[in-house]
Amino acid sequence: MPAVETEILIIGAGILGAATARELSRYKADVTVVEKNVDVGWGITKANVGVVCQGRDTLEFRPEYHRTRLLWKALPLMEPLCKELEVPFKRVGAYLMIRDQVLKEKLDKLAKRTESLGLGADKYYPYPELKEKEPFISPEIKGGLHDPEIAVVHPVYLTQALMENATRNGVKLMLETEVTGIRADHTTFTVLTNRGEIKARYVINAAGEWVDKIAAMVGADDFVLFPIKGYVGVLDRNCAQLAGSLLAVLPEEPGDMNIVVPTVEGNLLFGIQLQINRRHDRSTTGHMARLALRNARKLIPEISEKDVINSFCGYLMFRNFEIGWHECEVAMSERVPRFINMTIGYPGVSASPGAALEVVEILQRDGLGLEPDPGFDPKREDIPDFSLLSERERKALIKRDPRYGHVVCRCETVTEGEIVEAIRRGATTLDGVKFRVRPGTGRCQGGFCGPRVTRIIARELGIPETEVTKSGGASTQVPLRTKQLLEKGGADG
Amino acid sequence: MASRVDVAVIGAGPAGLAAAIAAREQGAEKVLIIERAEQLGGLLPQCIHNGFGLLYFEQDMTGPEYEKAFIAKAMSLGVETRLETMVIDLDAERGITAVSRKHGYMRFKPGAVVLAMGCRERSRGAVGIPGTRPAGVLTAGTCQRFVNIEGYMPGTRYVVLGSGDIGMIMARRLTLEGAKVEAVVEIMPWPGGLIRNEVQCLHDFGIPLLLESTVTFIHGEERVEGVTVCRVDAERRPVEGTEKSYPCDCLLVSAGLIPENELSRKAGVELDPVTGGPVVDQNRQTSVPGVFAGGNVVQVHDLVDWVSWEAEAAGRAAARFADKGELKAAAGVRVMPGDNIKYVVPHTISGREDVTLHMRVTQPGLKATVKAGGILSKRFRSVRPSEMVVLDLKGEALKEAGLKGELVVDCEMRGGG
Amino acid sequence: MAPKETIICIGCPLGCRVTVIQDKKGNVAGLKGAECKQGQKYVLEELKNPVRTLTATVPTGDEGFPLLPVRTSLSILKTLLKPVMVETARVKVKPPVKAGDVILKNVKRTGADLIATADWPGSTGEG
Repeated sequence: MPAVETEILIIGAGILGAATARELSRYKADVTVVEKNVDVGWGITKANVGVVCQGRDTLEFRPEYHRTRLLWKALPLMEPLCKELEVPFKRVGAYLMIRDQVLKEKLDKLAKRTESLGLGADKYYPYPELKEKEPFISPEIKGGLHDPEIAVVHPVYLTQALMENATRNGVKLMLETEVTGIRADHTTFTVLTNRGEIKARYVINAAGEWVDKIAAMVGADDFVLFPIKGYVGVLDRNCAQLAGSLLAVLPEEPGDMNIVVPTVEGNLLFGIQLQINRRHDRSTTGHMARLALRNARKLIPEISEKDVINSFCGYLMFRNFEIGWHECEVAMSERVPRFINMTIGYPGVSASPGAALEVVEILQRDGLGLEPDPGFDPKREDIPDFSLLSERERKALIKRDPRYGHVVCRCETVTEGEIVEAIRRGATTLDGVKFRVRPGTGRCQGGFCGPRVTRIIARELGIPETEVTKSGGASTQVPLRTKQLLEKGGADG
Repeated sequence: MASRVDVAVIGAGPAGLAAAIAAREQGAEKVLIIERAEQLGGLLPQCIHNGFGLLYFEQDMTGPEYEKAFIAKAMSLGVETRLETMVIDLDAERGITAVSRKHGYMRFKPGAVVLAMGCRERSRGAVGIPGTRPAGVLTAGTCQRFVNIEGYMPGTRYVVLGSGDIGMIMARRLTLEGAKVEAVVEIMPWPGGLIRNEVQCLHDFGIPLLLESTVTFIHGEERVEGVTVCRVDAERRPVEGTEKSYPCDCLLVSAGLIPENELSRKAGVELDPVTGGPVVDQNRQTSVPGVFAGGNVVQVHDLVDWVSWEAEAAGRAAARFADKGELKAAAGVRVMPGDNIKYVVPHTISGREDVTLHMRVTQPGLKATVKAGGILSKRFRSVRPSEMVVLDLKGEALKEAGLKGELVVDCEMRGGG
Repeated sequence: MAPKETIICIGCPLGCRVTVIQDKKGNVAGLKGAECKQGQKYVLEELKNPVRTLTATVPTGDEGFPLLPVRTSLSILKTLLKPVMVETARVKVKPPVKAGDVILKNVKRTGADLIATADWPGSTGEG
């Protein structure tokens, strides 16, 4: 196989890799992204709850921290970016709440700090006033500090949109391409993958969960990462009225994160007690689930086990856990020139547009001439969402393409037209379709639409249904034909 | 819709078909069934096993045979159908919005509506099974569709969580198709389905039924590689130290059915939190005038025969409503679940006409007597939550009793489960 | 010693677990655990002649209707269920088929026919 040559190689198509690729696509640069999964945004990006934090919701954003600077850089960019790429972005606001009046002092300190940094004046609401805003809050809550700026995005949608726009503007994306080794000489990196060698002048390591391992391949690993995980429960949309804003309890101990988050889709998420984890372990335990539910009910007593339609494992990489979680790494390695590591941990999604800008600056400082590309098109059109359209728009859409009249997923009202469009834009698996247009994310979790989506994927990709996977690799949905086992058994039976 | 629809039936399963037939027979001119799937019959085409129609036709039929009898009748009566058509909205004035590839966007207001959407299965997410999230975890009903209709098998070695009827029937189906079923795991101390199925689906094939147990962990990265099964205590919490692992490449979830009432909710129909279905009167009319409901959308039945009968009552009443624009109230008396009764359907009765009460007990027991006020008492050798109890009350007896306001139904037992 | 056998009665929700007591020659000497007469009758019949109706599918080769549901016309011995299943994978059917049509006569010499339980008019075109 002839080696692929590229000027800049980005390892990882998660939120950081995609944001950087899209930022670089503004310039006349030769950029390639490799991703080991079958789709983009499926590493730790997928395990993120999607809160766009504003840097004032914890005492941990000090101005001197690198990640705070990246976040501040990103703050004004996120909403326009989402608009440009037609990614749903909802400014839900947040209440940081206390259960013990003694902690009011801490909230005051926070509010004061926010104000002194010029980030705005957050108002404190004692319980009776808070109840008017959020009627389902537990009476045990004493009050809460309102941050009107907090927003939510879907991290995977954002990643897909960034990558779609980047590839449209000339970035090359290689999926199912896993980096297995890197050799460096004075001018070039030779990156070994399961699909052959890639030669690159610059390497941007945005490998998410595996950033430190990739860095170690070339001796640029002057940091240590710790995986942290927590259970995140998903509530039925019927419960949407239970919380209009992000509700959080002021942590009393590190890792003690008790939040309820409205998603852009109108579900509520709840969790997440964080714990140090084994690498790559995305499992959740019954204990984690029970604890999360108990905590959520302390916030909103009406949250019921009956309304939990799904759950996932929230997952983050933190650097230097033993000395606090504070520092991130978006920098050129001091040991290996032209090798840039990107890892943020918390708040990775919120800071990603800032981190991407920073990488461009690093490259320019290193002498890479980046000339703006006049052909750059910042716009991306979203897949039509039938469930959100007006009657007139629906009629027009069905007239244009009758497949938009065929509702495949009842719970989320997803049409065949949307599924086919998701496949056209790069979805090749059930999860790929699900994480673009949502069939199977509703209360029946694919019970009705699962077989139908499988059939549509097989038809559109021209593969047998036995090869359609949930998420690539060995995750086939229906690996055998009915009677196949009997045919085998027939020989001795 | 070009011409007026008298009765619109949502769903073409056994309930929808029976309701449409009954509505036509009652005199409704134009009866239309709207169905989201590609064919009529609902889940019957995938229920290729027998055991249907024993009461209704006094014949042991398979799902497709039972379905065929109803479809043939519906067609001969001129019932109209719209397939692959999804009702996306139902309002409180019976306004229906539906879409389909073939007919596009439709809005119309029929004379009456019958809700016949059936029920859905509780998913892995709803059951909350811990562990990883690989391929190979699906509900028993989805597996049934793959194996019996689509022609595909999701795995070779299975564990089934939940001993509901579909779970047990699938355990047999998969075994017959050459797969291995390692175990059926049930959290309760008794099986979730009919005895007949426990014997003919599990016992016949030597498939272990693990009672008072549950799956506490799913293992595997891309595909299921196995599950951990634990015994549970009286509170149904896993008991530490009882973990046993079962290698498998597929976990089927058969952990209960939930009436499918999203549309009912949109229309503002009052729902019963116990059954999960609409609160209905003797005519199967819901709290929204002109909106009727029958079959598993009201209460999850164990036998399809009762689904058909219940839906027929709804269909007949819907036809009368469409004709007259109203119905004489059939809701004078509230039926209340008493001792050891989880629920009773219908929720209200007229207190004048013959009526059949459907109910489930809370606890299993021996030598049970089910009493409806002082009107009727019926003895059962045993009762179990998984087997519906049915009482027929005569209008004469009801009138004689001169019920005022409510009728309490109790179940007394002289022996434990 | 003849092995003890337990049969669950399916006559009612009680589901009596009936133990069959056998004498030295293997004849039924008594039943233990049946709550009623009908139950005893069921168990004796089940011992003598354990038969079931087999339901299954046979492949059609038609993409729009890949499997045709079938059943045995009579109940067959439990022990013959598996061999008949193997036959269902081998059998070739041609449309049109009507519910009730015989797909295989006297399948595996069970005395029962394999009959269709649904109509298969045949493919009406591709796709």
